[in-house]
Amino acid sequence: MGATEKRGTSRFDAIIVGAGHNGLIAAAYLARAGKRVVVLERDREIGGSTRTEEPFPGYRFSSCPSLSPLPPRIHNDLDLERHGLELLALPGTVWTPGGNGHRSLLLSESAAQSKEEISRFSAADSERYGEFLDLLKRLCRSLAPQLDNPPPPFSPHGIRDGLELLRLGGRIRRLGRKDLSELLRIPLLSLADFLSEWFETDLLRAQFAAGALIGSLAGPVSPGTASLLLYDFLTGGNAKPGPRVIPRGGMGNLVRALAAAAEGHGAVIRTGAAVERIQVSGETARGVALRGGEEILGQVVLSSADPKRTFLRLIDPIHLDPEFLRRVDHFQMKGAMAVVHLALDRLPEFSSLSGQPPSPALRGRVRISPDLEYLERAFDEAKHGCRSAFPFLECLIPSLTDPTLAPEGHHVMSILVQFAPYHLQAGSWEEEREPLADSVIELLDRYAPGLSGTIRYRSVLAPSDLEQRYGLTEGHIYHGEHSLDQLYLLRPLPDCAGYRTPIRNLYLCGAGTHPGGGVTGRCGFNAAARVLRDWQSAKFR
Amino acid sequence: MPLPDYDAIIIGGGHNGLVTAAYLAKAGKRVVVLERRYCLGGSAVTEEIFPGFRFSVCSYVVSLLQPEIIQELDLARHGLEILPLDCSFNPLPDGDYLMRWSDPDQTRREISRHSAADAEAYEEFGRTMTFMARFVKPILSTEPPDPTSLRPSHLLSLLGLGRRFRDLGEEFQFQQAKLMTMSAVDFLDQWFESDVLKAALSASGIIGSFLGVRSPGTAYILLHHYMGEIDGSFRSWGLARGGNGAISESIAAAAREHGAEIRKESPVARIDLRKGRAIGVTLESGEKLRARVVASGVDPRRTFLKMLDPGDLDQEFRERLSRYKFRGSSGKVNLALDGVPQFTCLPGSGPHLRGSIAISPSVEYMERAYEDAKYGSFSRRPYLDMVIPTLTDPTLAPPGKHVMSIFVQYAPYHLRNGNWDDRKEEFGDNVIDTLAEYVPDIRKIILHRQILTPLDLEREFGLTEGNIFHGELSREQLFFQRPLSGSARYRTPIRNLYLCGSGAHPGGGVMGAPGRLAARRILRDGNGK
Repeated sequence: MGATEKRGTSRFDAIIVGAGHNGLIAAAYLARAGKRVVVLERDREIGGSTRTEEPFPGYRFSSCPSLSPLPPRIHNDLDLERHGLELLALPGTVWTPGGNGHRSLLLSESAAQSKEEISRFSAADSERYGEFLDLLKRLCRSLAPQLDNPPPPFSPHGIRDGLELLRLGGRIRRLGRKDLSELLRIPLLSLADFLSEWFETDLLRAQFAAGALIGSLAGPVSPGTASLLLYDFLTGGNAKPGPRVIPRGGMGNLVRALAAAAEGHGAVIRTGAAVERIQVSGETARGVALRGGEEILGQVVLSSADPKRTFLRLIDPIHLDPEFLRRVDHFQMKGAMAVVHLALDRLPEFSSLSGQPPSPALRGRVRISPDLEYLERAFDEAKHGCRSAFPFLECLIPSLTDPTLAPEGHHVMSILVQFAPYHLQAGSWEEEREPLADSVIELLDRYAPGLSGTIRYRSVLAPSDLEQRYGLTEGHIYHGEHSLDQLYLLRPLPDCAGYRTPIRNLYLCGAGTHPGGGVTGRCGFNAAARVLRDWQSAKFR
Repeated sequence: MPLPDYDAIIIGGGHNGLVTAAYLAKAGKRVVVLERRYCLGGSAVTEEIFPGFRFSVCSYVVSLLQPEIIQELDLARHGLEILPLDCSFNPLPDGDYLMRWSDPDQTRREISRHSAADAEAYEEFGRTMTFMARFVKPILSTEPPDPTSLRPSHLLSLLGLGRRFRDLGEEFQFQQAKLMTMSAVDFLDQWFESDVLKAALSASGIIGSFLGVRSPGTAYILLHHYMGEIDGSFRSWGLARGGNGAISESIAAAAREHGAEIRKESPVARIDLRKGRAIGVTLESGEKLRARVVASGVDPRRTFLKMLDPGDLDQEFRERLSRYKFRGSSGKVNLALDGVPQFTCLPGSGPHLRGSIAISPSVEYMERAYEDAKYGSFSRRPYLDMVIPTLTDPTLAPPGKHVMSIFVQYAPYHLRNGNWDDRKEEFGDNVIDTLAEYVPDIRKIILHRQILTPLDLEREFGLTEGNIFHGELSREQLFFQRPLSGSARYRTPIRNLYLCGSGAHPGGGVMGAPGRLAARRILRDGNGK
């Protein structure tokens, strides 16, 4: 993407740091409201961790594949289709192959089909499956409105805040007593406890648990992890079986459409423009200084960089309270995931898949998560600073849906690998990177014998690579753990939740804010709404 | 209909049951307490296990016992005397140790041997925790409001809670939110750098629960250690003269003085109902007693599933009850000693042995201990919390001899390999082996040992799955959800049947709070009729 620079224009209404999907969405909405906006991206390419890369000729990968569409509202408001976004439907299946003679489990978006599948394992589980989905659906329905609004302040002041809290309470109360008590209980449970209350089939529990744990440094036995499942269902993440989409041409096409939409509304997007400092005077953000010395003034600054990068690197500490900086420093974002991309000669042949290839199961998500104890042991190793000898894997072969991603007959496979802790107790990722890929491939070979022989090319992104390449501090793909103490009105911290920060006119708009990581676009959307509302109340004059 | 024999029958003569009995008797009710064993106290008991040696067999220290109970029941006059424990001693495997004293200057000097920064932070930490404890403490003495209820009394109570939270100020609100959500270690990481100190402090986050020091939610339990109050000073722990049984005896004395009847060796077989209301109990002997209300100090599972017929409760309630988690994770080893144990890192029988002594040398040690249990075996190197009460209260053993109380975690109730009866001695040996790494000649001075596995705790003391708190003190089982949402205010789905034990708010520990609050609830309900 060529940089559409307008040198000399050094004063904007809004400066956006970072051209990831959230930054671009914020830019598009602000520009659409008539503001003069500039987006500054340090890399030569836009997209942050949402891009398409071609590290090997003819094979294209999405850097961090995500399968959820942006909320329809964003899609329509920004007219992404007109800007070149084409979404391809993936089957909403999650398939967990059975190894060593164990059975496989295929859940799909059809509850009836899934129930039939589960009944092969347990009649009781099959019976309860529908009820389980219904409960989660009801709980999510009452929580969903909170996704598209800034959270109320952690420490309410005045009547307006009080009313907002009452409204929130009222909405949740509509759940009724029984569901409400579940809503107050479930988020505190561990995934293992919650799922065991419902199901006796360990493979089924493990399939849900692994889906919910992707991106987090937690095991299924960790208390509070059931909230990740709820969160996942709420945002349509990995655990929930249901329809999925990918942009044709990979994730890069999504950000390209977003950029085109923003530019269509007059936003300026500059790549290779690394922000070195957010300039502050009199406790108010005034603009930014780029590497190389150029200064750009803006009435507001929105940072889509993660909270640690924003507050600890981009701002001179003299402008922030030491206690606040200490809190930022303690913000939990220890990345624990690696990504392996494989270019394959042909489709992998899983020994537990019968029938004519390609099996529809391979078009959806393929998950290696045999049982809860497997997941917990994988986590234990990461907790002690080692990569899991037997990680759990989330695999996707997008070329089955979008053949343009690989030469004819060939395929690309992207694998999320957990756990791979950013902070290693011994050694470095320099040394561990390739052994990690080896162990992943060895593990896959057990399920799909011969897969290793079909690999033409592989690339491994350790957490340290995710940090260097995409600016994800400590390699955390969500810009911070989705733990209960870092969600909603506590995300990233109570004194800078709701997109505002302790510095006037400086806002956060990245995944480190509510509602968090994943390609949901909601952080950028909500942040832009917050800025525009503040603008209206003339806070910037 | 014939007049009932009593106003209230209390099932179980544990400290909570006795507290309920004392308060009801004090209010003029005719009360009988029915205890299954030959002695009173439940898990707050002193028994002469070996001739001449008396042990606080289960619970062994006191701190949380509510001051209002001590006052209102005049327990001092009934013989309760609490001897302060004023230090904690953590021996380390490398020959060093960590000492903390009730005197802040001394503590600062000791901690600064490990980290100067931590020595400074420690005082600030203590102040913050004490402040936070002051916020939580009144909650422990109040019936929890149910946020799922729309009754004005609940809403008002919730609003009051919200207001108190607001008044904490932003800084403490944030700390409180962190305490409720973080792991003990993550929370301590925000304050301290030295692993030794973090490990020592983190231990209090996991006592009695099947969680590790790195499990989210354990930070909250740290606060409980700052809630202890003896003579009005926070953060104090003590021993009851005569062992923890003396606490129960003093409460029983108060109850008797007010006219309560206390019957030992009277195991209850069943709670009797008529038209869905509790009308009394049938003893194992076949004797039937009738009362206006029945209060059970026994844990919820025992009360509802063993003392009632399955048909007495609706399906949904039983299902929710089956989700209430016990998962005992600790055991106990009580030693009769021929002398004072000599620790390699700090020999002698100085004041360092008069407080609590803990083997929790590093965060990693604690976490590994948990991992063993997580996968179904007792910790190869467990966390040990010990006291030698005879150094403060020599009446517990013959002259020159000592008793040592060792709380052991983790000992999971459900073992993956073998069973507790077969592995009991191995478990005991493992504890002694662990201790011997710090006290090499410990074996030479052991005269007798008593081992209590989680299974023993269940059989002997009626603690389901060996859980010392009548159910895990995990967040989803606290406050308005203890034991179950909708049945957390001492009432049960069965009219006239109440819970008054640790399975009710605010939970376990020798606190007496559930017993007191249950009595108040019973009295209030009675007035309404």
